[in-house]
Amino acid sequence: METNIRFTHQELVEKSKLGDRNSQFQLYEQYVDAMYNVSMRMLGSKEDAEDTVQDSFVEAFKSLGNFRYESTFGSWLKRIVINKSINHLKLKRIPLVPIIDHEYHLSEEPIEIAEALDIERVKIGIKKLPPGYRQIIQLYLIEGYDHEEIGEVLEISKSTSKSQYHRAKKKLLEIIKEI
Amino acid sequence: MDHFEKHIRDNKALFDEHKADKSKMWANIEMELSTTGPKVVPLWKSPIFRVAASLILVFLLSTLIGITVYGEYRSAGQNSVVSQELQDIDMHYSSLVQHQVLMVKNHPDLSQEDKDEFLSFMDELDEEYGVLKLEMEKNLNNERVLEAIIGNYKKRIELIENLLRQINDSKMINDDYGYTL
Repeated sequence: METNIRFTHQELVEKSKLGDRNSQFQLYEQYVDAMYNVSMRMLGSKEDAEDTVQDSFVEAFKSLGNFRYESTFGSWLKRIVINKSINHLKLKRIPLVPIIDHEYHLSEEPIEIAEALDIERVKIGIKKLPPGYRQIIQLYLIEGYDHEEIGEVLEISKSTSKSQYHRAKKKLLEIIKEI
Repeated sequence: MDHFEKHIRDNKALFDEHKADKSKMWANIEMELSTTGPKVVPLWKSPIFRVAASLILVFLLSTLIGITVYGEYRSAGQNSVVSQELQDIDMHYSSLVQHQVLMVKNHPDLSQEDKDEFLSFMDELDEEYGVLKLEMEKNLNNERVLEAIIGNYKKRIELIENLLRQINDSKMINDDYGYTL
């Protein structure tokens, strides 16, 4: 079953590898909105997100020969979009993780805030997060990356990713409570 | 994963609140792809093509070698048939000529001078035969050369037969004359 999922859009992918523009367009149509939203969440700017997604599709189609169905095409493409978005933030010198003691231990605290289950409040709360918190929250909660993958993308250790995520989540809940 | 995290992940589709300007973005992507050219996997880099090309090459080489060898075999076969045919003709006429030349040489009613004159004429025909045989070796399928060789033999035999007939006729006349007398 998992194997079948990985081969989603295989025919379109194979034709796109050979430079078939129609197949490339069909893949683009399937994924552009999702990729645009990923980039918008990371960058918060329409122009920056458009540039990033455009660059990502161009790079994806050019390097499609390297795609070996080790993941779905969508996951592979999303990784390109996220990497490009992170690079964009680095160029703007926006911190990717909070500039505080990374190794500070945070204990698990039960979430008992009813407001936290309101998605609209969560959206607002994420937008209000200070630089460095937003990316790690989005990567873990919305993009579904685990701490190992986040570590690879943000070039931090797995334990740092864990501690920073807990710190960011605590901050998010505080903001949601205040809304 | 706590309840909050699970709730967010279960509703992550609600976070996709933006719509991309598809046409504008695709125009830029297509322009970028067009300037660099489409990613084309060269046919000769395809493993399937390599295997197919190898098989075709092996097949073509085998066919070429097969045709050459079979052609040579057939040609050799044909040549050997023609060559055998020529040898048979040659042996037949050669033995016939040798036998008749021997008859002329040993004929008691012929002078040595007549024998030498006749044999020198036969030598000329022998030389002509040698030239024709060389021509025949160059091209065994040349029917005209083959006909000329047979003609050469027939001419020699005819000459010998005429000579022997003349000798016999003159002998008979002499005998009759003697008898009459």
